[in-house]
Amino acid sequence: MSKFLIILQREYAQLVKKKSFLIMTLLTPIMMVGFMFVPAFIAHRGVVETEVYAIVDRDGHNVGSGVAEAMTSYTREGDTTPSYRLEALRQFEAHDSVGSEGAVDTLVQLIRDGNLDYLIVLRPDAHVSDSNLLLITNSDNFRTIDRFESTLSQILAKRRLEVSQINLPVDSVMALTKRSELPRQDTKGETVRSEIKFMVGIVLLMLIYMLIIINGQALMQSVIDEKSDRIVEVLVSSVTPFQLMAGKIIGTGLAAFTQVGIWILGGAGILMFSASSDLKLDSAITRTVFNPATVVSFVCFLVLGYFLYSTFFALIGSIVNSPKEAQPILLPVILLLFAPPLMIGFAVLESPNAGWIRVMSFIPTYTPLLMMMRVTVIAPTVEGNPLLSPIMGEAVIGMIGIIIAILVSVWITARVFRIGILMYGKRPTLPEILRWVGHK
Amino acid sequence: MQLELENITKQYDGKIAVQDLSLSVPKGVIYGMIGPNGAGKTTTIRMIMNITAPDSGRILLDGREVDGSFRDRIGYLPEERGLYKKMTLREVMKYLADLKGYPSRKSNQAIGPWLERMGLKEYEFKKVEELSKGMAQKLQFITTILHEPDIIILDEIFSGLDPLNIELVKDVLLDLKRQGKTILFSTHVMEQAEKLCDHVCMISRGRKVLDGTIGHIKAKFGRNSVQIAFEGDGQFLRSLPGAHEMTEFNNYVEIRLAPDAVPNSILKAAVERLTVHRFEVMQPSLYDIFIDTAKVSPHESQREEGGQHV
Repeated sequence: MSKFLIILQREYAQLVKKKSFLIMTLLTPIMMVGFMFVPAFIAHRGVVETEVYAIVDRDGHNVGSGVAEAMTSYTREGDTTPSYRLEALRQFEAHDSVGSEGAVDTLVQLIRDGNLDYLIVLRPDAHVSDSNLLLITNSDNFRTIDRFESTLSQILAKRRLEVSQINLPVDSVMALTKRSELPRQDTKGETVRSEIKFMVGIVLLMLIYMLIIINGQALMQSVIDEKSDRIVEVLVSSVTPFQLMAGKIIGTGLAAFTQVGIWILGGAGILMFSASSDLKLDSAITRTVFNPATVVSFVCFLVLGYFLYSTFFALIGSIVNSPKEAQPILLPVILLLFAPPLMIGFAVLESPNAGWIRVMSFIPTYTPLLMMMRVTVIAPTVEGNPLLSPIMGEAVIGMIGIIIAILVSVWITARVFRIGILMYGKRPTLPEILRWVGHK
Repeated sequence: MQLELENITKQYDGKIAVQDLSLSVPKGVIYGMIGPNGAGKTTTIRMIMNITAPDSGRILLDGREVDGSFRDRIGYLPEERGLYKKMTLREVMKYLADLKGYPSRKSNQAIGPWLERMGLKEYEFKKVEELSKGMAQKLQFITTILHEPDIIILDEIFSGLDPLNIELVKDVLLDLKRQGKTILFSTHVMEQAEKLCDHVCMISRGRKVLDGTIGHIKAKFGRNSVQIAFEGDGQFLRSLPGAHEMTEFNNYVEIRLAPDAVPNSILKAAVERLTVHRFEVMQPSLYDIFIDTAKVSPHESQREEGGQHV
């Protein structure tokens, strides 16, 4: 067996045998599913606690009582417990500013004490102008605030119609001017739920990012360990530094890919199980996640991205003496490599074909993350075989770019590595490292 | 295998690590390379291992210039020791032997007996991190020779070993020598080199300053002195013809002789007037030679080895 394979085998076995490997393999999918579904679930279920509100009405057109009545229709998901409790509805004559201000002061104090969540103040002529409305609260629950708004706007519209001189049946007008819903479907006639593409895109991005960071750091750590334990002296008396480096990079990579392989097989298993049983998964999710273009590009960009970034980690590991020494170099490298794609992630999801996003997705260090997201968003909408779509053409060009970058990076790293691993003591400066690259 | 270095020179960033060094290590000897820290020993070894290339000069093994293909026939124990802490002793030995291209069948057979001989058998399936420092060192020594290398390069092998283990390792080395292996032994502890080596060369500041068999070197540097332990007043010894200089110790004196003086005449004069308990013609130790030679550049021995030696 070649020496490269012997090293590869050991690196792989060391990683896969660890307990943390098993734990990560099991936990990561659970975490990812959590990322996808828990926020959606919470948003759907709504707030669990009953919220308390009060109204001070000086308007005199039954707006306050209308709101109180309408708010009783909101109940918690799944049962009849009302979501809101009316603490007080205080009605005053328009001229009674002393009385109403006293009531407002008392109720504001209740909010300060935490016994009340919202206070709606309707000043005189509130039914005429919105500038006479006020909501006092310390809460940021936009769902509740949105409900107050829509309830108020319905009631106010009704009152405004009633007091106006237009002689029409108010209820019919209300029904006719109801806000319209805009149902959407894509060119394949399927209902679009863009939030799912968003979530899948973000989750796949996080997954690649995580796998690269975790395994890259493991690789760096193992280079540092061999260096600080001085094993490397023995190793380079048996193998060339290049064999050592290649064996470590590929061995660590294969361990990561094993993990991903398990996830993909698991996912396929769940898909087949759900197809053969009554348990139907959300078709929008399966269509996005298991789109062949998405799967292929995820695997390709993970593998290529790992190899590109792992050379950076191997290089850093070879020039430092301890993990502590690596941190100050590692931080800017990680920021430089990962921050831009993570920052513009949402922009990519919104407009995957914008010119500058397109350009950035062809920069090899950003391609794995950005191109992958573009494929995730675009692929589910294409006609015909998604693997033959134009976006996959762009993805392939991106892959070729990464491969060229990997070759360059391997060449540089190999030249630094062979000298760096045998250097102890002072960390080399950048000019020194550049000189190593030039050494014969 | 015979090892030859011909006019090797190596520089790092303008600093000369090894200059015009020529050595000839014959087959089947224990060859000591001695010198202060920072003299260029590690650099020389790394060039022999083909880990780094000399700027000029040739390194020949059995008459052929070294390249990567010789790696498997060399066993190297670096001065800085280390093994995979999380692997068992057997795994580490097997792995390092595999990397030397040693057949699995042979290494599987050889691991047990070697552990036995070094007194590590009970740890065979324990992790390296459970070993004491001395035990780890013995383990590393076995990993160096398990694959039956023809050339064995040992850098400061005895540092950190207790006298019992030193004997153990020394026995193995003598066995290997008898089998015709070439052993290159680098150290700055002179007593060890003196006890074990057939041939030494001394390196200082990257240059060879001494080279030859122990006897040859000692003869060359013979300082011609005698030690006498006696009863009585020995002050007259100081003024004997031929006595160059006398140093008094607690219960004996050391007399340095003039170049043409004969030790016998001193003895004769001593027994006439004193009760002599012991009389010895002294040969200089390698240590003395080392000190004398290194005195030329005393700061050398202060310089730390490390950083620049690739």
